[in-house]
Amino acid sequence: MNCDEAKQLLADYWSKSLDEAKELSMEAHLESCAACKTEAERLGALWRGLALIPAEEPSAAVRSRFYETLAAYRHGMEAAASSKGNWSLSAWWMAVWPKQPAWQMAASFAVLVIGLGIGYAVRPGAPQQPKTDGSEIAHMREEVNSMRQLVALSLMQQQSASERMRGVSWAYRVPSSDTEVLSALLDSVNHDENVNVRLAAVDALHAFGSSPVTRTAIAQAIPKQASPVVQIALIDLAVDLKEAEAAAELRQLAADGSADPSVRDHAKWALGKMQDGSMR
Amino acid sequence: MNGTDNTLMAEVSGGAVAKLAVLFERHHRPLFRYFISMTRNQEIAEDLVQDVFVRILRYRSTYDAKQSFTAWMYQIARNANVDQAQKRRGEVIGIDEFLERGTEPVSPSPGPEESASQGQNLALLKRALEQLPEDKREILVLSRFQGMKYDEIAQVLGCEVGTVKVRVYRAMRALEQVYFTLAGEKAS
Repeated sequence: MNCDEAKQLLADYWSKSLDEAKELSMEAHLESCAACKTEAERLGALWRGLALIPAEEPSAAVRSRFYETLAAYRHGMEAAASSKGNWSLSAWWMAVWPKQPAWQMAASFAVLVIGLGIGYAVRPGAPQQPKTDGSEIAHMREEVNSMRQLVALSLMQQQSASERMRGVSWAYRVPSSDTEVLSALLDSVNHDENVNVRLAAVDALHAFGSSPVTRTAIAQAIPKQASPVVQIALIDLAVDLKEAEAAAELRQLAADGSADPSVRDHAKWALGKMQDGSMR
Repeated sequence: MNGTDNTLMAEVSGGAVAKLAVLFERHHRPLFRYFISMTRNQEIAEDLVQDVFVRILRYRSTYDAKQSFTAWMYQIARNANVDQAQKRRGEVIGIDEFLERGTEPVSPSPGPEESASQGQNLALLKRALEQLPEDKREILVLSRFQGMKYDEIAQVLGCEVGTVKVRVYRAMRALEQVYFTLAGEKAS
């Protein structure tokens, strides 16, 4: 390998994308050529330095602008799909209707025959065909829900706590049957490092109260929770959802001398509420 | 939620536009970094990120699933940057003004001395990169900041892979020159 060939391979050498044979040949050249060796090392240090330059971050507005645009685009697609049938029909009719009178007569006759055929097919007692309009709307609704789910899940995975809070607020817009969002909320309640995000996630769980998963998870989350404020919010949620399954955990908490006094009192209060008969 | 960029974009192209949210989450930060490196203006860089995703929606049907999504997206990004540059011709701020505006994000992190010294070196390296001519800066940004392979960069720039490698080498030489000039100015 000569110096010129070595220079052409330096980019691969720095990015470690040379195959074994070329790498060996490169190493051999660098050992024998002090000028190339110095250059490869000097530039290589800068090459590595480039990767260490801290990345600049965009502001939060970039994300909100994108989601607004996407929602508007989706809305536009839906509007276009629903209005398709209205205006294009006349244009289509103008295009297909023949210009010659003889063909117009023939076409009229054909339309008459088709009309009679349709009349026969839809007479009372004829077998019913399933409608397709409803399924199309259901499909669109499904797509909108899937977009909301994506937004909620994406935001809940962000590093910034305020972004995760926004993700939790998107959880209110998905159907309560959405198990992926539910499991992300439960994950936030149990593991998010930020108390405000945990509290917001507990509030959002109200909407998912009908799921047995939520009910069991609330009971399990109460003793695990490190923050007294979140524990109290979870106890309130258990009371709101009339969650009898949490009673055992609450009794344990009410008797736990090491628990935060306000949490202990709140657990006693919740047990009292349950015994009032509202839980039966 | 999972899926490669290419399959996700193919789905977006087929009408499942909601999936663009996943691609946005994966790519908007690197894309912003590309634009801020090219324009040196936070506001314009953010506008350009938005513009790229709007263009992806608009041209989604032209996406070929056999093509690398990243390469396709950066082709769009380059075009968006060229269009934007034409609009703002004459408004581009100089490097000194840029630094004076306080958008310089590299700050020596508190802690050991060597970390502070490394921070200063990186700040200098960043300034050197910003002073490179646009074509040289772009190729280094694509390979070092965006982590793109040389064959992908070749697709974006519309040239041969071998040409990309040579341009990378030449850009590094130019970077070194600017870097040591700045370091010399600082020392004197």
